[in-house]
Parts: sequence; C-alpha cells; structure tokens
Amino acid sequence: MKILNVYRSQPDETVQKLVEIVNRDREVDTFDLTVDSPDYSNLVDKIFEADQTICWW
Amino acid sequence: MEYKKVCFMYRHEDYVVDGIRSALGLAVENMYSYGVVIDKEIPEIDELTKESIEMLRDMEGDIFTTVQADVEKNDFTAISIEELGEKLREMTHIIPYGAK
Amino acid sequence: MAKSLGIFVTTTDSLQHVIGITKAAKAKGSNVKVFFTWKATTLSKDPEFAGLCDLADDVSICVDSYKKQGFDIEDIPEGLTAKKMATQAQHGIMIEDFDCYLSL
Repeated sequence: MKILNVYRSQPDETVQKLVEIVNRDREVDTFDLTVDSPDYSNLVDKIFEADQTICWW
Repeated sequence: MEYKKVCFMYRHEDYVVDGIRSALGLAVENMYSYGVVIDKEIPEIDELTKESIEMLRDMEGDIFTTVQADVEKNDFTAISIEELGEKLREMTHIIPYGAK
Repeated sequence: MAKSLGIFVTTTDSLQHVIGITKAAKAKGSNVKVFFTWKATTLSKDPEFAGLCDLADDVSICVDSYKKQGFDIEDIPEGLTAKKMATQAQHGIMIEDFDCYLSL
C-alpha cells in the first residue's frame, strides 16, 4: 500500500498525528502544494503511482 | 465486490452541514461513509441535518467528533485523534473537506 | 494507457491547482473528471472556469450547493450545460469508476 500525502499548508499537530498513524508500516510519498509554482506533472505521476492520495488542508 | 469506505473530515464550522450531506450522498451510492468533526465545536444542527445523520447511521455510516460538547449537543459519536487515525487506515478514500 | 483521475473540489482557493493538475494529467493521456461542491461552486464564476471545462473530459457542479451559494440555477456558468448542474452522485461516480482520486 503506497500513500501519497499532499499538503496545502504546513501540517499542524493534528495533521501530523493523523499522517503518522496512516503512514505506519506503509510506503509513503509526499508532495508540497504550498510552493509558488508546483510541478503538477510530477504530482500527477505521484498520484498515478500511489494506491491512495490524501490532500491535507 | 469490495465496498468503498470513505471518511470526510471537517475543521471549519461553515463546511460541516454540507459535508454531512456529501457523506450521505455516498452512503446512498452503496459506500461506507463517515464524517468527523475535528477540534471544532459547532452550533446545534438543524432538523434536516439530524435526519441526514439518522439516514447515514441506518446505512452503517456515522458522524464522529473529537469535541465532547458535540457528543452531548449534537449526538455525534465521540472519537479521539488516535482512534481516528486508526479508522483512516481502513478507508479507501480520505477527504479533508473544505477550509481549515 | 494513463490512469483516469477524479478531482473533488471543496475549497475556494484551489482553482489554479485544479487547472494545473488537469492540464498535466491530460498531457499524459488521462481521462479527468472534476466535480465542485458547496462553496467551491462559486469557482464556476471565475473567468478561468470555462477554460477548465474545455480542458477536462467532464466538469460538473452540485446544483443544490450552487443555489445555496445564492445563484439562480437557470444561470448556468459558462462552460457547463444544464446536465452538468448535477448532484452528489457525480462524486460517487468518480470514486467508483476512476483509477485515482484527489480532493482539493
């Protein structure tokens, strides 16, 4: 099971705790959407590679 | 056939009522559908939303909260962040819904 | 064959991300479906919304949300047709029938 965590803002304590539990013993990737010019092509590649994508607040 | 399991998470009071409606929308499509209000006390919900939650529960879904006041006031089911994390591991789709 | 992608939009500040991701996914040959709900239906009034409708394979909005945001349901946003003023069933379709799913 591969999880992709996408962040729309810096994860706060609540999100960090949830991510830690969801990620446990799983293959994990991340993508930061907070940057000025996100590499959407790279994001789509990551979404296609993942079994589940979670886009956090 | 494997049924989808979906969990909506709400952190902004303006998005809770509609988010519950979205959760119900998936339950009627034959999915296990849940909603969780995180760290936010909300005003007492209206009758229509109460009916939506009853329908959701009839279809094996539920609305949870991490806020004790909403367990008492709105009859949501209590859940801790740790329990929520474990529940999310069972989901096929996880939806942080609306604004923070 | 590229995987298909469903994008469920619930936030009002995400249109640029939706467009960017849709453009990138289409460039890879993907089938892209986008559904806007609740406050995100206000994005249908953004000048760039019609361009997204041209780009994606399917774009629809929750008509009940649109009405609750104060719009007249006869006032169909540019890029959509009456049929695309839809219900939450569209969300169900992308979860059941699409390979990949993203909420924004």
